[in-house]
Amino acid sequence: MTTAPSPARRRDIGGWVLTLLSAMAAILWFFPVYWAIVTSLRADDQTVTDFSLIPLNPTFGNFLYEFENSKLPIWYLNSTIVSVSITVVVVFMAACTGYAISQLKFPGRQVLWWTIMASFMVPVSALIVNHFIIIAGVGLLNSYMGIILPMLLSPVTVIVYKQFFDGLPREFREAAVMDGAGEFQLLFRVFLPMNWGVTTALAIITFITAWNAFLWPFLAAQDEKMMTVTVGITAVQDAFGVRYGRQLAGAVLAGLPVAVAYLLFQRRVTQAITLSAGIKG
Amino acid sequence: MSQVDLSGITKTFGAVEVIRGLDLQVADGSFCALLGPSGCGKSTLLRMIAGLETVTAGHIRIGDREVTQVEPAKRGVAMVFQNYALYPHLTVAQNICFSLSLAGVSRAQQKEHGDKVAKVLQLEALMDRRPAELSGGQRQRVAIGRALVRDPEVFLFDEPLSNLDALLRVQMRLELAKLHNDLKTTMIYVTHDQVEAMTLADKIVVLDKGKISQMGSPLDLYNAPANRFVASFIGSPAMNFLPAKLRWSAGTLQASFPNGASLAIPAPATPAFDGERAGEVGVRPEHMGLSDTGPIRGVALVVERLGNTSYIYLDSPVGPLICEADQAVGIQPGTSVGVTIDPAHCHIFGTDGAAWPVRA
Repeated sequence: MTTAPSPARRRDIGGWVLTLLSAMAAILWFFPVYWAIVTSLRADDQTVTDFSLIPLNPTFGNFLYEFENSKLPIWYLNSTIVSVSITVVVVFMAACTGYAISQLKFPGRQVLWWTIMASFMVPVSALIVNHFIIIAGVGLLNSYMGIILPMLLSPVTVIVYKQFFDGLPREFREAAVMDGAGEFQLLFRVFLPMNWGVTTALAIITFITAWNAFLWPFLAAQDEKMMTVTVGITAVQDAFGVRYGRQLAGAVLAGLPVAVAYLLFQRRVTQAITLSAGIKG
Repeated sequence: MSQVDLSGITKTFGAVEVIRGLDLQVADGSFCALLGPSGCGKSTLLRMIAGLETVTAGHIRIGDREVTQVEPAKRGVAMVFQNYALYPHLTVAQNICFSLSLAGVSRAQQKEHGDKVAKVLQLEALMDRRPAELSGGQRQRVAIGRALVRDPEVFLFDEPLSNLDALLRVQMRLELAKLHNDLKTTMIYVTHDQVEAMTLADKIVVLDKGKISQMGSPLDLYNAPANRFVASFIGSPAMNFLPAKLRWSAGTLQASFPNGASLAIPAPATPAFDGERAGEVGVRPEHMGLSDTGPIRGVALVVERLGNTSYIYLDSPVGPLICEADQAVGIQPGTSVGVTIDPAHCHIFGTDGAAWPVRA
C-alpha cells in the first residue's frame, strides 16, 4: 500500500530543490569572479598553463606590479574623491528635493515631480554626448568637477525619499511645527533621523554605483592622473600581449572596496534595492 | 489672560463647507470639550485654533491677541495628538524638551524644565527610554509632557485617549482632570466620546455638520437638550424616542402613542401651539420603569447586566426601547413586559428635531 506524501513533506522537497537550484546559480555566477581572483594570484607564465582551482604557486606579484607600475594609488584616490562627493551631494540634494515635493506646497511642484519622474526614463547613455559637449565646453574635462557633475543626476534617490516622506504620518510634521521647527529643522532633526536606515541604504547604493561607473568617467578623464580605478585599469597595456594575471589583479583591486562595502552593509544594500524596486520595476 | 474667542469661523475645503460661521468663547482656565460625531468639523476647528489649518473666514483671538494669521508655534498653544506623534528617534527627555532645544535653550535649562514636567507626570524613571519602549499610557503622558513644557496659554487635545484601552482611558481621564485642576490652564478637548466630555469638561460644545448644535455645562446638555441630535448624542445608553401625537391641554401636554396609549406630560400653562401636532417624546432609559400596568408593552430582546444596574433592550409597537432596571431584575430575553414612563422627565421634540419647552 502506498500513501501520498504529506503537504509538509512536499514542501520540504520543494525547498530542497529550490535551495539546490539557487546554490547552482550562485556557483555559476561566482565562478568567473573566483577565477579572476585565482588567476590574479598566478605567476604570469602560469595563467595559461595552470588551470587548477587552487593556484599551485600563489603569488602577489601581479598586485605588486600594479601598485608599482601603474597609477593605481592615484586612481584609488580619484575614485574615492569622486564617489564620496557624489554620495554626499546626491543624498543631500535628493533628501531636500524629496522633502520639498512631498511636504511643501509651492507653484510648479507637480511639474517638478513629473520632470523628475520623466528624467529617470531617459537612460544616462543617451545623454552622454550632450554631457560631454557641455562639460568640454565649460572646460571641465579632466577635472573632478567634470567627472562628478553629470553623475549627480539621481532621480530614483529623489523618488525613494519622496515616497518615504509621503509615508510618514502628518502628525509628526504638525507636532514639530507646533514645537517651532522650521523646514530645515523638520528635515534634518525630525524626518531624516527618524529613519537613518533609508539614508544609509541610499548612500551605500549611490557610493557603489559611483565607484563602479565606467562610461562617463572614461570619457571625462582622458588624463591618466584624473582617471578613476575602473577607467584606469583598462589603461594598463602591455607591449607583449595580454597579461591576464596583471589585468585581473587590477580588476580585483578595483572591485575590492565595493565588495567590502557590500559585505559590511549587506542588509542596507538589500534594503536600498527593495526601496527602489517598486520604482525601477 | 488666555480666553479663546472664535468669531465667524468658516472653513471650506473646495466646495465643501466644513465649519459654518461659528462663534465660540472659551473662558480663561476652563475645560471645553468639542463633542460630535466623525466629520462634524470638531478636529478641523481645533486644528484652526492650533494654526495647523488656515481659516477661510473669521477671526481667532487667544487672550488679547488676534492670532488668525499667526504661525502655530507663536500662538501660545500646545497640542496633544491622537496618535501622540512622539519622535521615535528621541528619548522621552529629548521628546519633552524638543521645543526648548529648537528655541536654543541651554541644555541645563532644558534638563531643569524637563525634570519639572517629568515630576508632574511621574515620568522620572522613563526619561532615557525611547517611545517604542513605553506603554500606551506612558506615551500619552510623554505627549502631554511635551505640551506642558512649553507652558502654553491654551492646551489643545485631539482625541488623546482614543488609542488607549478602556481601563487606561479611565485612568488617563482622571489624570487629565487632575492636571487641569492643578494647572488651571484653558484646555480645549476634542472627542467623540460623550463620557469623556461629560466627565472632564465644564463646558461642552456639541457640533453637528459644522455648526454648534448646543453648548453648555454637561448637566445642562443632559437635562435640557436643545434638539434631538444633542439628546441622542449625550447619555449612554442613548435616549428613547417615541413617536406621538401631541396636544396642549390646560397645563399638560397629552401624548398619544401609536399603540393607543397616552401620557400626560406637565407643561407650561401657555400652549406653544394649537391643535394636534406630530412629534417625539424623548425619555432616558433611567426614566423608564418596568411594570405590568405600564402603558406600553414590549418583548425583551437583550438583557445587559452591568452589576450595579441592568439595561433591557425591548421591541415594542412604538419602536425599539432601552429601559434601565434594577440589577436583580429577573427578566429573560423573550419575556413580554410593561413599560412605565416618568412624565416629569420627558423631552418633547418637534418633527424638525427642535426641543419644545415642556418644563417651565
